[in-house]
Amino acid sequence: MTGSRAGRIWGLVAAQAGRRGGRVSAADACAAAVAAVSVTGGWLTAASDGEAGHLMRVTDAVSEQLAELQLTLGEGPSLDAPASGGPVLASDLGTAEAGRRWPAFAAAARQAGAGAIFAFPLRIGAIGVGVLGLYRAWPGPLSTFQLGDALVFADTATLLLLDGQDDTPGNPSAGTVPGGQPADLALHRAEIDQATGMLTEQLGTGIASAFMRLRAYAFVNDLRLTDVARDIVGRRLRLYPDPSQDGGA
Amino acid sequence: MDGQLLSATFVELTDTMVADFDVIDFLHVLTDRSVQLLDVSAAGLLLADPRGELRVVAASSEAARLLELFQLQNDQGPCLDCFRGGQPVTVADLNAEAQRWPRFTAAARQAGFAAVQASPMRLRDQVIGALNLFRATPGAFDPANVRVGQALADVATISLLHERSMRHSDTLNQQLQAALNSRVIIEQAKGKLAERLGIDMTQAVSILRSYARNRNLRLADLAQAFIDGTEPLIGQIAPRSPGDR
Repeated sequence: MTGSRAGRIWGLVAAQAGRRGGRVSAADACAAAVAAVSVTGGWLTAASDGEAGHLMRVTDAVSEQLAELQLTLGEGPSLDAPASGGPVLASDLGTAEAGRRWPAFAAAARQAGAGAIFAFPLRIGAIGVGVLGLYRAWPGPLSTFQLGDALVFADTATLLLLDGQDDTPGNPSAGTVPGGQPADLALHRAEIDQATGMLTEQLGTGIASAFMRLRAYAFVNDLRLTDVARDIVGRRLRLYPDPSQDGGA
Repeated sequence: MDGQLLSATFVELTDTMVADFDVIDFLHVLTDRSVQLLDVSAAGLLLADPRGELRVVAASSEAARLLELFQLQNDQGPCLDCFRGGQPVTVADLNAEAQRWPRFTAAARQAGFAAVQASPMRLRDQVIGALNLFRATPGAFDPANVRVGQALADVATISLLHERSMRHSDTLNQQLQAALNSRVIIEQAKGKLAERLGIDMTQAVSILRSYARNRNLRLADLAQAFIDGTEPLIGQIAPRSPGDR
């Protein structure tokens, strides 16, 4: 069920890149999400945790205004989402609740033409790479189906942003996606997360780089990510700062 | 059943549900208490992800977590039937159900479980997950225990909805996604700590949990800080022989 959903959404993102005539990027995930989830517009901000964020894509003038308003005012769903670790679903910016939560932004966003805003943190556990924001001109919640799709678009954007960041020379995944399609994050097992944590120690790197090395190792050796992760957790495989030393534990 | 333990458990669980509480840790406590209260060997908790599948969010033991994962991977088992039907599923003797769930019953036997009781987590007409109890010996489940199991499943549901002022379905989904992400952070931190100290994942999580408890930190916040390098886990990491890394 989820496998086919991830595949369908990857197809939509790839088609969007095709129309644009470029390599698949997180910006394509943003544009494709706007069409598929039936929202009016969207924006995508790339940011490591604690950084201001870099606006990578807006789909219309209102989206741009909404993204900038939040940065200017220092409040809004896009800023709350990374901190909470889950999406911020503001289905009606006109409610008293929204007004209390974002005293300046809620009113400004409505003035700009937004009735509802849905912000999705782009993260895998402690790895945070940005935010996908979607807005509707009218208030009202996303359906469960739309929410499910939006979450998978956000997962896809997360992996594409990570791939874009990884500019290690000779890294096969730099700029492309291992296997041509992002791994299905929802199907992702605890072993992958545990192995990623173990690799921060083995490699002496941050969590995002550790995850990229794990994916790159699986890609280069044509192995499934879960199998590589299981070998690392089982201490049958170790990775080293110098990849030529990678091998048995 | 121990009536005093039962009331103490509900008091503990409701006391924990104050603002900004730790959902993941709460659900772990809930599975642990289910084991103590209901005379079972292990408990696991599954929640529906809007992406379209179930996820294991808490388990009282690694064996229970693996058996829950096995059901999800093989799309077969009493916990899935409970979730899909929205009704409790009770299996007093898994050996008698080998035809109904051939792969699940084999995996359960291997894990040392002989009986299962699954209670749905319901929010109005929607089923959002299931609390599953596993027992090592076959035999009927006490109807009183089954009712308490359902009450614990209901408390788990309520715990995900504590921001009651917001729209219910939005709140649930926000809480659920945040909880799932917390789960991932905790797994990442377990890996880092296990590698640092040369211990296994069960030992790593018990260190993280007791450290968080003693300092009144949310487990996911501690895990995040440990990964970021801003939390050195004082007193936990130092005592290794020099040069031994």
